[in-house]
Amino acid sequence: MNPTLGRRLLPYILISPLVVFIGALSFVPTVDTTVEAFFQVMPLNPPTRFTGFGNFRRLFANPVFVTSWVNTVVYAAIGVVLSVVIGIVIATSLKRGFRFRGVVLALVVLPWALPAVVEAVIWNWIYDPNFGVLNSALHSAHVIGGYHVWLGLNRWLTVTLIEIVQVWQITPLSALIILAALQAIPPTLYEAARVDGASSWQSFRRISLPMLRPAIAVAAVQALVLSLNIFDQAYILNGIAPLGSSVMLQTYVTTFQNLDFGGGYALSLMVTVATALLSMALLALLYRRTEAAA
Amino acid sequence: MMTASATRERLAQGVNQAARGRLGAAMSARPARAGGRVAMIVVIVLWSLFPVYWALNTSLTTLSAADSTPAHYLPSPLVGTSYRTIFGSGSDVSGQFTRSLLNSTIEAGGAMIITVVVAVFAAYAFARLRFRFKRTIFVSVLATLLLPAYATLIPLYRIMGTLGLVNTYIAVILVYVSGFLPLAIWILYNYFNSIPRELEEAAFVDGASPVRALLTVVIPVAVPGIAAAAIITFLMGWAQFLFPLVLTSDLSTQPVTVIVAALNQQRTVPFTLMMACGVTAAAIPGVIALILNRYVVQGLTAGSIK
Repeated sequence: MNPTLGRRLLPYILISPLVVFIGALSFVPTVDTTVEAFFQVMPLNPPTRFTGFGNFRRLFANPVFVTSWVNTVVYAAIGVVLSVVIGIVIATSLKRGFRFRGVVLALVVLPWALPAVVEAVIWNWIYDPNFGVLNSALHSAHVIGGYHVWLGLNRWLTVTLIEIVQVWQITPLSALIILAALQAIPPTLYEAARVDGASSWQSFRRISLPMLRPAIAVAAVQALVLSLNIFDQAYILNGIAPLGSSVMLQTYVTTFQNLDFGGGYALSLMVTVATALLSMALLALLYRRTEAAA
Repeated sequence: MMTASATRERLAQGVNQAARGRLGAAMSARPARAGGRVAMIVVIVLWSLFPVYWALNTSLTTLSAADSTPAHYLPSPLVGTSYRTIFGSGSDVSGQFTRSLLNSTIEAGGAMIITVVVAVFAAYAFARLRFRFKRTIFVSVLATLLLPAYATLIPLYRIMGTLGLVNTYIAVILVYVSGFLPLAIWILYNYFNSIPRELEEAAFVDGASPVRALLTVVIPVAVPGIAAAAIITFLMGWAQFLFPLVLTSDLSTQPVTVIVAALNQQRTVPFTLMMACGVTAAAIPGVIALILNRYVVQGLTAGSIK
């Protein structure tokens, strides 16, 4: 082969496996979801036919659908706020060096690395109404008079406790993003503030927080995408009950248990669009505040 | 905005300083605040570790001790019955569980190998070579990072159904690879960009082709970045649940996450055994994350700062 031709083709040869994978297994399916959301697709009730907004109308008529959307918004709100706040606390505590810092950092990252299903099974045991350690510890500390059934009775308590399990898993990511940004802030800024007699809270408020805003925005968006798509924790701790259902759980039930594929496509499309819009809104909000603060 | 390599250096610096305990001495000037910080770090470690400890504690004791009130904070009596049930022969749980561990290893391992190989070549092209539509393709690939992972769930299930691949390792691995490639590309692209071009230029002067330069000069230098991409990919593969729940239908391919969920759903498996299953399923990613923590931190930090 002509060596110059080979050299010209080389980049395309190097990226072709990537393009095939992403094209066939990401782009084609995404387009497929968008199109089929407007078709009635039921394996037990063929043929597939165009229905316009029929799938969406059918979904909105189902009260569980509304419940799972409201729940998902609450899941996401708790997930974003808690993981960012705890992430900031962890990052500021680990910013400066100390003995065993490396070990502590490794332990902090651990929950991120474990399967969410396994974590949810463990928390299910922690929340157990009869023998769970949460009841036992709160009872010993005289916070509660008797043992409680934590999951499955009160809707918002169930949603909160399930989201705490997800927060436990995704917070290490927020902490690492914020820690990296925190360590990039020039130490001279803090020294100058100290010389001017600023308290450590003041330097956190006036130096760290404004400079961390871009990192906080990235951490918040990651948490938002993950919590809007919560499935594993809700599946284990709530089952398919409507009470704590999420949109992804509802998508799974609609598609693979009710075999309403068109409804599943419509749900997938809605959660995809919602994720994109909310991510952009959150980024715009946090970045605008950065400019205002600067 | 900072670059990923600067971040890596800073994180590494922090760890080094910690190892030397250099800043520890400066702390003692303000004992009250240092005390507060130690307390905070203890709380953080407890928060990160307690659930894992609690699973271990329960898995190592008897059912009557686990089912006692108030709870025992140490495993007494200390017994290995649950682990013998998992790894001994004969029981239902043991057969399902050990097979699913093998399936997880094949699926996460297979996805890791294919993802890293595909990503190394593509990331090198994006980082070093010039070609048409480079930016468009690069941005389109990275844009899929922002897609919710499950946007493609139903079509992928139907594609695999059409190809007759449902309930095969191949289906699971292909789906994982398509999901993990964007992050792996991003990690490797940043790593390649942090390597000085002079290294390859010396090889080009000696008449090497770009592929040869990649294989003999760049890859050996990029081992830490490749390791980070590989480890993150493996951990993500091991943790998958919804995709294999849909794509696998029996023990020939079901990974450990699907089996743990199924055992948990039966409500007849005692908590001691359930926790032993959980600890065992978490052991491989847990040990990897603790021992190879440097690469996990590096990969996650590089992967998230844009």
